[in-house]
Formats: sequence, C-alpha cells, structure tokens
Amino acid sequence: MPVMAIEPKLSHTAAMILQAINAGQVYGFSVMEMTGLPSGTVYPAMRRLERDGLIVSKWEQQAIADAEQRPLRKYYKLTRAGHGALEAVHKRYPLLEKLIPSAEVKRV
Amino acid sequence: MTIRRLVHSLPVSHAILWTAAVLVPRARRAEWLAEWRAELWHVWNCVRDESATATREHGDAEVTAFCLGAFHDAIWMRRNEGRSTMRRRFQIGSPWRCGATLITLALASMLLCCWLPGAHKAMLPLPRHAADGVVMISSEGYDAGRTPTIRLEDYESWRTSARHLFTGIAFYQPIHRQVRIARHRTAELSLARATSNLFDVLRLPLSAEPHAATMRPHMARVILSRQAWRRYFNSNPQVAGRTLVLAGQQAQIAGVAPEGAWQLPDGIDAWILEDQKTLDALPASARGFVLAQIKASGFPAGGTGQRSMTVSRENGEADRYDCVSLAQHMEHPFFLFLFTLFLACLALPATTPLPLGEYSVRGSQLSLLLTIRRWLFLAAKISLILPVVYFSSLDLAYGRLPLDSTTAQYIQMAASFAGLLFGLRWALKDQRRRCPVCLRLLTNPARVGHASRNFLAWNGTELICGVGHGMLHIPEIPTSWCSTQRWFYLDSSWSSLFSDTYLAPAGTS
Repeated sequence: MPVMAIEPKLSHTAAMILQAINAGQVYGFSVMEMTGLPSGTVYPAMRRLERDGLIVSKWEQQAIADAEQRPLRKYYKLTRAGHGALEAVHKRYPLLEKLIPSAEVKRV
Repeated sequence: MTIRRLVHSLPVSHAILWTAAVLVPRARRAEWLAEWRAELWHVWNCVRDESATATREHGDAEVTAFCLGAFHDAIWMRRNEGRSTMRRRFQIGSPWRCGATLITLALASMLLCCWLPGAHKAMLPLPRHAADGVVMISSEGYDAGRTPTIRLEDYESWRTSARHLFTGIAFYQPIHRQVRIARHRTAELSLARATSNLFDVLRLPLSAEPHAATMRPHMARVILSRQAWRRYFNSNPQVAGRTLVLAGQQAQIAGVAPEGAWQLPDGIDAWILEDQKTLDALPASARGFVLAQIKASGFPAGGTGQRSMTVSRENGEADRYDCVSLAQHMEHPFFLFLFTLFLACLALPATTPLPLGEYSVRGSQLSLLLTIRRWLFLAAKISLILPVVYFSSLDLAYGRLPLDSTTAQYIQMAASFAGLLFGLRWALKDQRRRCPVCLRLLTNPARVGHASRNFLAWNGTELICGVGHGMLHIPEIPTSWCSTQRWFYLDSSWSSLFSDTYLAPAGTS
C-alpha cells in the first residue's frame, strides 16, 4: 500500500501569508502591507503557521538594528515543510502567485 | 491636544500593547511584547512618512487599529500556549493537580455543609451564653442532661433559697402539641413551657420583636426557633405579633431566637413564656430543665470547672445537684474534631512509618528553596485534608440528625478519626512517592533483584522521575544497610533519555 504524504490544508489567508513571506516580506507589518490583512489576523495566523512548522521566526542581529537605529525586529522565513506546503497551495490557488509574485528571499 | 489626537498618541498605543500583553502567558510575554513594540515603531514611522499624502487622523487611526489587533494575537497565545502550559501543569501526578483536587474536595464538602441545615448549624460557633457562666442544674450530672430531672417545686424553692449562688434561674418543660399556625393549617411542634425570664438568663437577643403596642398583655408569649420560623413561617420578618393557637390556648409570637442559639436538649421549635400564675397551676411534680446564671462569688474559683450544690431536705438528708456548664454540656463538633485529630496523630505511627526516606545532600541539586517547597507542599496537603475531613464528617453526622444527638456525635467521631487517619497516612505516603525536586509523582516502578538473594544483592522496587531528576529505591525487606527508601539524583548525562514535556522547576541545576 503506497504511503501518501499528508499535506496541511491551509486557508486562503494562511496561503497569502505564506506566499508573502516567500516573496520576501519577512516581518509581520510588511506581511500586513502586502496582503492588506489586519494585524489581528496576520499575527495569529503566523503563530499557527509557526506552530505547524511551516515557518520559523528568529530575532535579527542586534548590529543591524543598531546600525539603523531602530528596535530589534523578529523575522519569519519558510521552513522546508513550508516550501512544500506552498507548492501545494499554488496548485490549489493558482492566482496566488500572480497576486504576490515570489522573489528571492532577502538575507537578513 | 484634542481627545482624538490623545487617543491615537504613541503612549496610548504602547498602553494598549501593555494591556494586551497581560493576556499572554507569562513565559512568552516579554518576547511577544518586544515583537509588537518593534512593529509599532515601524507602523508609527510609516504613518508619519505617509502623512504628507494622507490625512493625519486617518494615519493615527491606523496605528490604533494595528495595536488593537494585538488583542487577537494575545488571546490566540493564551488559548493555545496558555492551555498547553496549564495542561502540562495539571498532568496526572503533578503537585498542582494534587492541590487542585484537595481544594475542590474541601470546597465541595464545605458547600455541602452550608447547604445541609443540620451540618450548617454544627458549623456555627457556640452561642454567647455558653461562655457566660450559664449552667444546667441536673440531679444526675452530665449523663442525665438530656432528660428532664428537676421538679417544678424544687425550682420554685431554689428561686429564693439559692439567690446567693445564681443571679438568675429559669425553668422549662418540653411538651409536644398540635399547633394551629394559620387558618386551616396545623403542625406538630416541639414546644417548651418556660418561665418568662428564660431568654434573660440565657442572654440571647431576640430578633423580629414586635412593637410593644401590638402585644396583648393577657396572652402567652411564644418565641420561635430560627428553624421553625423558616420552615413554618417562610422567614416572614413580620411574624412578630401574630397569634397562634396552642392546644386550644391562644399565644402571641414575641420574637425569633438567634441562629444556632438553642442547642439545649429536645430540639425545641418554640417556647411558650408563661406567667407565674400559669406555672403555679402546673403539678408540683412536673419535671423540666433548670438553667441558671451563676454568681462569680457563689462557687469557688479554679478547680476543674465542675460545680455542684447541696440541698438539705426536711428529713435531714441532703440532695446533691450538678451544675453542668452549657459549654461543657454542648460538645461543639469542632472540639470533637480536635480530639479525633489528637487520636489520629497518636495512631498514625502504628499504621505507616513517619520518616520520608533518605535524601542525599547535594547543594547543587536540591537548593534550600526546593527543600522548603517540598515541606510546604506536605504542610499544604495536611492543612487541606483537615477541612476536607472536618466538613465531610459534619455532613455525614449532622446532615440528618440533630446536633444534640449522641448517635450523630459518635458518627462524627468515627468518620473524623477514620478520615484523619487515612488522610494523614495518604499525605505521608504520597510525599514519599514524589520527586523532591519537581514534586511530581514518580513513575515506572520496576522490581529489582530477588528476595531470596537478599544477603547478596539489593532487592526492591525502583521508581523514576519523569523529568529525570532521580530514582527512588524502596527496599523489599528493610535491612541494616538499607532500612528505608533512598533517593538517588541523576546527573545531566541522563537528560537525553528524558522528554522535555515537563517544565523544569526553578532552582534545579
């Protein structure tokens, strides 16, 4: 009996956030700007994605924040499972990639 | 500054974030707040940069809307992360779960005690008269205190002859009568025919007293017990002044006795305060109870508190009467409980060993704080067992039986003693089966060795802490080299074998 991979069922909102992060919008506020979703939707959705292992959060280096004279920010990036989920999402929502074009992830 | 500007200001936005942060589990709060504050900085600056193209009010409202979204995030954090923390905290065997169970039991038994009228009455403190030197005069001491023993003629003679002993003396005689409490409504009440000074001697304040103008001077007065007032008169505050028909004789309600006031024999529902003329009409041999307020100078001070008086008869003989203090007469359930606690403490060493085992002293592993916490946990368990047993024994004993019932007192003593003995035994046994570091119950018992090789190798049972703090060795047969259970700490090299599902307690290395 063939073993089938279990793909997580993502909502459209989660798919948009995943796509936005993949497009290089690695901060919560930038994801909000890209997707047009309110903060009360974006942040809990990102917590769920992180809990499910699709994205991972990290604090940026102190030196970067010091150089730009701003507080330290937390950034998010896709995990391997997140990339796999995003591929499945593209099949389910074909227009998503056109709505938020993928880009090279910025190095933070 | 307008109110709108003030509402949308940066300090208010920070205040919103601080408020939302309260909802976030403490362990994640600082990180959560740092992320939101950093994002707020960017939102604020972004809005300021765009203020040239958009209206300022609109931008300020955006900042506030962004901050209000923090509540959604905080609630999500609380529901998910908080719940998992709580779930871990209340896992089977955790000290939190043990404490919560005991608190629930204590509250449940206490609420049941408040709900059951008899048990609730037993909870109340003794009425004031019990401590004020009121005695019951009895010809057969304490044992005869539940049956009327004093003849009316004796009471009448003591009123004058015993003035040097008592400041006041009262008589009452229990009777049972059909009472018509309202039109077409009768009830079988336990009545007592009493002298008019009974409540003055007892020094009990009456409630719902009628206005003097409404009382008819030639009619007998009736004092209702609190229980009868509730049961037959639906706690009507206007009951005073109403007329009852007691066995064909009319009487007027003159007041309601205070809660738990009447803890004297026979569980009286109402007292008819008769005038002297009516009492004189009673047969001289009618027997009843006599209560008296003792004079400080009437009896010698000190001693064991037992008082008696001797009355000389005309034929030269003397009768001895005991003056039993009401405080002594009415054994309050709490004193019975204390007595059984004393008995249980005496019996405890016969049922279980008192030592909690041997714990090697390693400062790095078991800090002073953890040692104190361990003892505090044991003390908390014992202090929660006490109310559980006390209230449960009251529920069991006085739920259906009256307070002065000897059977109820025996039931309370038996239940209280058994409950305390098993409760204290459980507390010690439970403590011995817990990790001294994280206070969780030890798991995975394993038999080690054979009893037949007792002289060659150790044998017994081993239990292990689920977090990996150590192992407990319990010998099968106490020997000179291993007489009691021993705790062995596991060093950090063992940590890879244990899951991190438990929270590491503070103070551990």
